[in-house]
Amino acid sequence: MLNTLVSGLQIVLSPSTFILIFAGTVVGVIFGALPGVSASMAVALALPFAYKMNGVVAIAFLCSVYCASITGGGITAILFKIPGTPSSAPTTFDGYPMAQRGEAGKALGYSLVASAIGGLIAAFAMALISAPLAAVALKFGPGELFAVAMLGLSVLTCLDNGNVIKTLVSGLLGLFLATIGMDPQTGVARFTWGSTTLLSGVEMIPVMIGLFAVTEVLKQTVKRSKKGGSDMESTGGSSKFKTTIPSIKEFFAVKWVMLRSSVLGTVVGILPGAGATIASFLSYTVEKKVSKHPEKFGTGIPDGIVASECANNAATGGAMVPLLALGIPGGNAAAIMMSALVLKGVQVGPLLVKSQPDYLSSVFGSMLVTNIIMVFVALAIAKVFAKILAIPYSVLGPIIIMLATIGSFALKNSTGDVVLMVAAGIIGYLFVSLGYSSAALVLGLVLGVMCEENLRRAYQIANGSWAKALSSPITIVLLLVCAAMILFPIIKGALPDKKAQK
Amino acid sequence: MTLDLIFNVALLLFSIYCFIYIGSVDNSTATELGAAFWPRLILGIMIVLLAIGLVTTLRKKNGKGPISGEAVAGFFKSKLLIGMVICAATAVILPIIGFIPTSFLFLIAYGVLLGERRPVVLVVTGILATLVLYIVFQGPLSIFLPRGTGFFRNFALMMENILGMIPGL
Repeated sequence: MLNTLVSGLQIVLSPSTFILIFAGTVVGVIFGALPGVSASMAVALALPFAYKMNGVVAIAFLCSVYCASITGGGITAILFKIPGTPSSAPTTFDGYPMAQRGEAGKALGYSLVASAIGGLIAAFAMALISAPLAAVALKFGPGELFAVAMLGLSVLTCLDNGNVIKTLVSGLLGLFLATIGMDPQTGVARFTWGSTTLLSGVEMIPVMIGLFAVTEVLKQTVKRSKKGGSDMESTGGSSKFKTTIPSIKEFFAVKWVMLRSSVLGTVVGILPGAGATIASFLSYTVEKKVSKHPEKFGTGIPDGIVASECANNAATGGAMVPLLALGIPGGNAAAIMMSALVLKGVQVGPLLVKSQPDYLSSVFGSMLVTNIIMVFVALAIAKVFAKILAIPYSVLGPIIIMLATIGSFALKNSTGDVVLMVAAGIIGYLFVSLGYSSAALVLGLVLGVMCEENLRRAYQIANGSWAKALSSPITIVLLLVCAAMILFPIIKGALPDKKAQK
Repeated sequence: MTLDLIFNVALLLFSIYCFIYIGSVDNSTATELGAAFWPRLILGIMIVLLAIGLVTTLRKKNGKGPISGEAVAGFFKSKLLIGMVICAATAVILPIIGFIPTSFLFLIAYGVLLGERRPVVLVVTGILATLVLYIVFQGPLSIFLPRGTGFFRNFALMMENILGMIPGL
């Protein structure tokens, strides 16, 4: 732990890396504040800036964008009732009423301190958990690793409140897309239909950029053509305030809320597919239930802001745990970071923490530094947030797509990847509007190779015996948990609704 | 028929086709899983789930889904379709006319689509945003953006020469 801390600080405090992290924090806070730019999109749009960096610096930079964008979303949620990122939606419940009472500065102070505390606790939790978890995973054989990857996919179906079948189909479609190209074991071309471009498989980065940037701009195009006018006009928010950091007494009054929300956010963040949005909503609900004054939630109390902002920032650290320890991304932004690492030739998986500990140190160091400097960056930028928000979407939306175009093109200097990005964006829009899950598709695409390779290796080692291949106690337990997670929402859906009957 | 049903049926037919297609490359042995095993397993489960989804949708919606036939007709007149066409056209013309003209035209076209009607704002935004993106990526980040062909290639080379003359870039 101490070694990771020292090594992490050495990496991120080197002048060039620190400047990049600072720039990433500024960009992240601004991106996070802009409605229609989610944290995943912010990380996807930051990718082209990271192409020329070395892997360790690139992951530190992307982490700073990720953490800061979650915080940026909270600022506009308080000032204008516009959650910049979906995970900041619960912040509006209490943040905006406080702002309307003339306590915008105080609400902002609570939000920033809570974000920093949540992020820092999660960063330490990540540094503590990742190495032991990776050490355990190193003892896993291919059968166990297959089960772990399947577990990552099945958690998503359990957490998704939508149509279970559609979520499962989305995940399977992602797994299918990962099979396109040359089979790594036998060299046979699969689903290439004679195309040499498809032989190298479906590039993950253009697909993700398409899904998170192009799809979102298309969604905003539809939304704005229906609604008309800017978000600022509709909320009537004000930028006249002075940010006040909570006093020690005020800070101690919400210490348990901070602690509970940070722990809950970290745990939720670790679960694949369950990101900052689920963490903040869950934390807000839990705090409302355990509070002595639940009726005050929603009227403008600091507890609501702290619960939401602590949890969503803590989820960022949690999401990095399975990525670094197991090679399974804990969310969409982590999946983008994973594909960036793969692009850099880094072998993501349990061996990463042991063979290249710099990556864990770099992420840890970046999270520590970002969570501290983002408070000051946000305080400095808060005054001009109204002006940033005044940028019309007719300017912002097209620039997002051009940035996405550069990000896809620069991957291999190929305009074919731009075509792939646009196709992914258009299909992604259709996909999401029909109730399918893009998060499940991305997870399937990212985990596809890991699932297949390990299953085939396990079968080969077991000399063609399924019983031997999947018979270790850990594999059986993990696969049973997978089955339970997939079946739970199906059974739950089939049971009669007791509340409705009452 | 709803768009949901059309998508479900199209995906189901595509999955069945792929399931049959990949069977031709099956090279499994007694102790080794071939290239077709994993895709067939995925596609097999997908086919079952899509069939269940199809039956459920038909039973529940009785032909009227959240996205109805009217919505499909509306789609062809919508800003969404125009947005999709602009994005697709951008991807097609990018290798032909290069980054600078593509970006300028795209920023103006999509800006108009998103409701910006002031020509000065559109042109200034188009020029400024294109130049900033071009200078940042082509300069310090050393990402070579598409040059295009013929006249556009010469134009891109001229821009690169100008950029090369700026100290520090």
